[in-house]
Amino acid sequence: MHEYSLAQSILSALLEYAKAHPLPGRVKKVHLRKGELLILSEWALREAFSILSEGTEFSGAELAIENVPVRVRCPSCGYEGNARYLAEEGWHLAVPVLSCPQCGERVELLSGKELAIVGLSVEEAPAETKN
Amino acid sequence: MHDITGSLGDVLQRQLELAAQNYEFLKGKGVRAINVMGAIGSGKTELILRMAEKLRERGLRVGAIAGDVAGDDDYQRFRAAGLPALQINTGDQCHLDAHQVGHALEDFPLDEVDVVFIENVGNLVCPADFPLGTDMDLVVISVTEGDDMVRKHPKIFAQTDVVAINKVDLAAFVGVDPERIASDYRKVNPHGKVVFTDARSGRGVEELLSALGF
Repeated sequence: MHEYSLAQSILSALLEYAKAHPLPGRVKKVHLRKGELLILSEWALREAFSILSEGTEFSGAELAIENVPVRVRCPSCGYEGNARYLAEEGWHLAVPVLSCPQCGERVELLSGKELAIVGLSVEEAPAETKN
Repeated sequence: MHDITGSLGDVLQRQLELAAQNYEFLKGKGVRAINVMGAIGSGKTELILRMAEKLRERGLRVGAIAGDVAGDDDYQRFRAAGLPALQINTGDQCHLDAHQVGHALEDFPLDEVDVVFIENVGNLVCPADFPLGTDMDLVVISVTEGDDMVRKHPKIFAQTDVVAINKVDLAAFVGVDPERIASDYRKVNPHGKVVFTDARSGRGVEELLSALGF
């Protein structure tokens, strides 16, 4: 259950950002990019964020999570792109495999373990939207 | 609606940076580190003790760092075996992270060892998301956990290059086919190495060491 500690890290980064860049209004959404190699429950992350953000200017903001496919590079054949995913019947989860989709050799991981804050959707205050 | 786009930070980036620092620190000291992960009761401590025995016979100096939510039982076992050791209590955190390990490495007598085993908290989920800066990762599964462990936790196995299937001497008693675990692992990680071990008798320990590059 590291969702709480990661939700806290997200909130801390947001509060720090808001301190340096005053927000024009209420934050409706926090946009995140989550690498598909992470073992992270989106449900638990949202729940943790909603509880931790209470009383801050991010209270009530929704986490909009975009899942980012795992990207790899093959040192043997030069392939660079998405990893092959294994979807076995009964697993209920597609698992990225660190093997080249082109030639089958061992690949290097380019990305897939990121949890990045990539934007905010802010509802502008009515006074500011008029003029 | 006003959209603000651009990078506001990656919350796991700091962990990767700290892991890289640990890696460099260990390299500077000439110490090889192994992150040992696996479920509670899979036999991580016992396997580390057996590997330490074999490595010491070869003239290498071995130490261990025990990561647990609470208590110092594993630490006591390492000390009783004569290994320089240190306990990290995570205080309810379900995994070690690079920050905790970094502090532990500062306190550890690294000048007295060539190899350090870092035993992670018993868990097959969270440790995979927190690299520690070790040279190698090892996951230990015991047959008593059932033959479905890889299917239940595929992502940690997809990114770990050495797996020990431990307590193979008990497989017949619990009706588990170790080969089934191995074949699931090969599906998610075709390049990984899998070794059957029975830490108590020492079976497979030499093979495990060579899979880890010793």
